[in-house]
Amino acid sequence: MRQVIKGNHAVSQAVKLSRVEVISAFPITPQTTIVEELSEMCARGDVDAKFIKVESEHSAMAGLVGASTAGVRTFTATSGNGLLLMHEVLHWAAGARLPIVMANVNRAVSGVWNIWADQTDSLSQRDTGWIQIYCESNQEVLDSIIMVYKLAEKVSLPVMVAYDAFFLSHTSEIVDVPEIEQVDEFLPRYTPEVRPEFDDPRMFGGFVDTEYFYEQRYAMHRASLDALEYYPEVCKEFKHIFGREYDIVEEYRTEDAGAILVTAGTITSVARIAIDGMRKQGKKIGLMKLRMLRPVPVERWREVLDKARKVIVIDRNISAGLGGVFSSEIQAALYPLENRPVVYPVIAGIGGRDITPADVEGIVNYALSNGKPAKMPLCWGLKQ
Amino acid sequence: MAVKRRSELAKTYDFKSWRDLTPMNISAGTMLHNMTGSWRFMKPIYEDKVPACQNACPAGNDIEGWIRLVQQGEYEMAYWHLKREQPFPAILGRVCFEFCEGACNRAPFDDPLGIKELERFVGDRVIPSTPHPDLPGDNGKSLAVVGSGPAGMSAAYYGRLLGFRVTIFEELPQMGGILRVGIPSYRLPREVVAADFEGLRKMGIELRPKTAVGKDIPFNDLCRDYDYVFLATGAHASRKLNVEGGDESHRIMSGLALLNRVALGEEVDLGNKVVVIGGGNTAIDVSRTAIRLGSHATVIYRRSETEMPAHPEEVGEAREEDVRFRFLATPERIEVNDDGTIRRLVCCEMELGPADHSGRRRPVKRHGALFDLEADSILAAIGEVPLFDYLDNIVKTENGVIPVNEGLGVDVENDGKARIFAGGDIINIPHTVAHAVASGKKAAIAIDCATKGVDFAEVLKEIAIGDGPAISFSKYMGWKPVNPVRQNSRAVVDSEKIEYDYFDKAPQVEKKIQAGEVRKNSFEAYSGTFSEDEALHEAGRCMHCGRCTECDNCLIFCPDVSILVIDNGHFGYSIDYDYCKGCGICFTECPRCAMSMVDTEIPIEGEG
Repeated sequence: MRQVIKGNHAVSQAVKLSRVEVISAFPITPQTTIVEELSEMCARGDVDAKFIKVESEHSAMAGLVGASTAGVRTFTATSGNGLLLMHEVLHWAAGARLPIVMANVNRAVSGVWNIWADQTDSLSQRDTGWIQIYCESNQEVLDSIIMVYKLAEKVSLPVMVAYDAFFLSHTSEIVDVPEIEQVDEFLPRYTPEVRPEFDDPRMFGGFVDTEYFYEQRYAMHRASLDALEYYPEVCKEFKHIFGREYDIVEEYRTEDAGAILVTAGTITSVARIAIDGMRKQGKKIGLMKLRMLRPVPVERWREVLDKARKVIVIDRNISAGLGGVFSSEIQAALYPLENRPVVYPVIAGIGGRDITPADVEGIVNYALSNGKPAKMPLCWGLKQ
Repeated sequence: MAVKRRSELAKTYDFKSWRDLTPMNISAGTMLHNMTGSWRFMKPIYEDKVPACQNACPAGNDIEGWIRLVQQGEYEMAYWHLKREQPFPAILGRVCFEFCEGACNRAPFDDPLGIKELERFVGDRVIPSTPHPDLPGDNGKSLAVVGSGPAGMSAAYYGRLLGFRVTIFEELPQMGGILRVGIPSYRLPREVVAADFEGLRKMGIELRPKTAVGKDIPFNDLCRDYDYVFLATGAHASRKLNVEGGDESHRIMSGLALLNRVALGEEVDLGNKVVVIGGGNTAIDVSRTAIRLGSHATVIYRRSETEMPAHPEEVGEAREEDVRFRFLATPERIEVNDDGTIRRLVCCEMELGPADHSGRRRPVKRHGALFDLEADSILAAIGEVPLFDYLDNIVKTENGVIPVNEGLGVDVENDGKARIFAGGDIINIPHTVAHAVASGKKAAIAIDCATKGVDFAEVLKEIAIGDGPAISFSKYMGWKPVNPVRQNSRAVVDSEKIEYDYFDKAPQVEKKIQAGEVRKNSFEAYSGTFSEDEALHEAGRCMHCGRCTECDNCLIFCPDVSILVIDNGHFGYSIDYDYCKGCGICFTECPRCAMSMVDTEIPIEGEG
């Protein structure tokens, strides 16, 4: 049923529809309304889940590690510093191969303190082993939560669904909320093979020495790569039931593009508008929407970006001393190509600063009018 | 040894490729060989302690114990358990000053537990003349109890449980002392007192009303004929009103005398307006009795309300019955007509000066601040004192009381063989029914020690409860507690030791009390006993401070899975000290401090 709802509301609807069984959460702006709403749903009995109030995000994730090990479908949400506080346990969840799903509202990390849209939080967690998905719209957010449960439970890895603070979390958009019957068809009950048994007690996730750890970690890496293989299947099934599809990357007007923009998150919507404008001016610009960051869809990225001579990556994040994370990942992926395109790393929109179509146009023009990128990433809009 | 184990396991779990591994590693063997108990320097034990309520009770009533039995629906067992430390629940459940409730650890959380109401419930549940389960035979010694008030009743009860042949002497035709002729019937119905005396009689205690020691039987003769004498004649004489014109008449009398007369069935007409002088519980009882006799009543007290010794609950109830209060006022002089009626009561305003020896601020008259109060009758309730004429100077008194030693024994040279003890309002203890009952119990035990030639002071150390001065009859007799856990009767659990986070709020079950304007017209009892439902509900609020309820918190939190459930019909937990590291989490998370951490160097008796 089509509704006008905020991004956070889309998440709580998706969690309810996915028949999550344990939610363990701690509030932080701007995700709080997700867990507030979920706690109300649990209290009313709208969702048959145990809601555990904890005193920190570290405990929130730790609680889910326990619950997921016990064999139930789990969920939590966080943002910014809250995600950072979970960091240790994020590694654990992935290492323990638990299909936990988390919504992360992309918010700047402190110090200094800022609550607005910025992707540094989830990107700083890219080495934890979690699968990462970036969303452009509230519809995509809702759909992604449902989709990734299937993905997570297939490959036994946790998945993070990320979306921009306030631009999506607190902004209303039209969202088609599916019926529970549709979701039940798509998403069967989570029934793991191995779970604790009272009559055969074991220790889960205990100490392993040098003879086991390497292989365990390798298995995790392979599972993440398996997700790349399995994702299109999930996508296809989702489309079949719900009529919407979300490929690992989405191409927009890339067929004859001389320059391709790469964006993740709400910048993508803005970029589409800018590209339409520039196309009218006769500029052949295309867009690759980056949806999955982990595992790295190396083949698809190469396949799409090889079409153009210039690749312009807009990062709404800074890794100090490196530059933008997406551009770094893109460049690494493109390195083996024989005639790789020139990558123009651009940083913009840090700490929630707005990016308009005019900004995107300016960014593209900078790339078009320069044969080589500057030595430093272009910091668009920086007060010099 | 660890190396050997690893390779052993590796052999059993051989893998060739990363594909052979399960996603998450799951243990194949055990770590039981690693006896982590060796890391310990402190160990937890289950140890029941003294809850704050029991510690505050002058009689050391094992409140938690009988409430636990009430919760189990074992009302009769609760009754007999309660009687082990306090023999008259139907009485105290109506008139005690609830020292327990004042100390209840639940009070800082929501409301204190309605212990008095529960005691009343238990007391009303069983007829006191039901055969006593613990009656022993005769020990061959005799005990004369002089006075049938709460102290005498208590000494008689415990004396009988210790095997003495007991006789209670009472000068009045009615038994009960202050319970019968002091406390008004609307607070303590006569039938309730009578029922408890029937219980005493059924136990084999001889009751001798209308027998005044000193008149009908010389005190000397008593000392000759009995092995032991317990003096409990109470404080029934009023302090005289030292005011010009204040001589006793049919309009000016002691408040206590009024209560006596009404209790003994006399119809008294006090006129329209009554002034009661005094600030203690007697003054309150007198004023409320005056109201019920159809008069208006005003209480005047020389200090302020905060310094009033009367129980605040009683003061509140008096107010509801339209008793008026005038603080910082004292009678100056009374002008009396020839026919004895009062023409004028002149009072003087007071103000509070510096503190006196009791710590209270001394009231002083304000110069010239005189005012009139209308009075048809004036009742003085300014203190009750004992009378000792009957002792024929055999027993010495000091400052208006009988001095006693630690075992309530009286030092005296007399002709007879009897050893003399004293308790209740004639010795220097607070004037409450609970203290009187406690003193009777203590005297009985001290008398028993005297019989056996045992040093009471040594015994006192064993049977003292908490901070004292209450003592445990159960401990003296070696009776088992309700909860069969190791007991530490000196450690008191106050509110700081309770983990309130583990409790849910629940307000006190409301007491059934008639509205003031209804009850002021009758001498009938105005409050009702809890129903079974109400009692179970209120008993369910008990936090069981210091006593294990097997709530499983320790078991849930133990990180070494070293608290085990055992099902041997007694206590439900054992600690596996082979693995218990002494982390103290069980002790910390116990909601009610029912565990203790002890130094492992000190051997614990009974540990196995």
